[in-house]
Amino acid sequence: MKNASSLQSFFKSVGKTALLTRDEEIELSKRIEKGDSAARDRMIRANIRLAISIAKKYSDKGCSMEDLVQESSMGLIKAVDRFDYRKGFKFSTYACWWIKQAVRQHIASQSGSIKLPSYAKNTLWKMKKIKEEYEEEFGVPPSPKEVAELLGTSVATLNSLIKCSATFVNLDASAYKNDDGKRTVHETLVDNSIETVDSEIDRERLIDIIRSALSDLTPREEAVLRLRFGISEPDLEMAISKEEK
Amino acid sequence: MPMPKGFKSSHGYATNKAFEGGEDYRSIAEKMTSNGYKMNHATARNIFLSALVKIARPVHHFHGVPSQEDNVKKTARDPRFQSGVAEILSSLK
Repeated sequence: MKNASSLQSFFKSVGKTALLTRDEEIELSKRIEKGDSAARDRMIRANIRLAISIAKKYSDKGCSMEDLVQESSMGLIKAVDRFDYRKGFKFSTYACWWIKQAVRQHIASQSGSIKLPSYAKNTLWKMKKIKEEYEEEFGVPPSPKEVAELLGTSVATLNSLIKCSATFVNLDASAYKNDDGKRTVHETLVDNSIETVDSEIDRERLIDIIRSALSDLTPREEAVLRLRFGISEPDLEMAISKEEK
Repeated sequence: MPMPKGFKSSHGYATNKAFEGGEDYRSIAEKMTSNGYKMNHATARNIFLSALVKIARPVHHFHGVPSQEDNVKKTARDPRFQSGVAEILSSLK
């Protein structure tokens, strides 16, 4: 609770700082280049809202909000130090890449029981993006081979990355928030091996229909079916004589 | 060059190899002929398919699928349908 309230007060205090105009950004950048630390502070404070908004987008990745805000601020500081106003871009355009990179790297280092190198995490991230974009464009998910080709890697590499990135779930943990642990995760898992009553009834009816259709076959037809399917040798002579009658 | 004509099955083609102990049409024709019912391999195939069509028709009705002759024949030729029928037939006797 203390953390949450301190974070809220931080957000409030940040909101009071005025945003910079394009000219102000350039002016501050020039001063930063000359080593003006006050200008650097001003630039960071004025853009901290951008860092927070990016951090919020990653709040569901299993890291605390405080850590995400801290990491995104580090990314922002890096962007302030490296920003080159001569290229003609707005600072926010440049900074958001550094902020995202810092946050993603932090999440990658925290999540999962197996520590993956950051390039592996990046590949998984790209794979997710490619799958989403492909499905949006073509309406069907891409095959593993297609994803591997688009990423310039092999299917085997992708499969091993997916396996390594699997997260563990505690089956005895509470399934829902605010449920006081009444229902555990394993109680909510669906058992696909069990048929539903409806589909079982449908299956039984279908079998009955096929059985009655089979009984309508002539002995000759049944004999041929049985020979073709390799089901118990029929008494052919009997079948034929029955039909001749 | 024109596109080749003909039917291309979406789920492969049924062969006797799919059924353990299943026989090819020539063997079936020979067995039936030696038991007094003269037929060649093509007749054996036609009898086999017409029997399956008889079974497929009520199945189409059950599922509310259009039961035009072409559709029913397609179902009859489907290896998945054939293996289902084989399973039920083997459980009958």
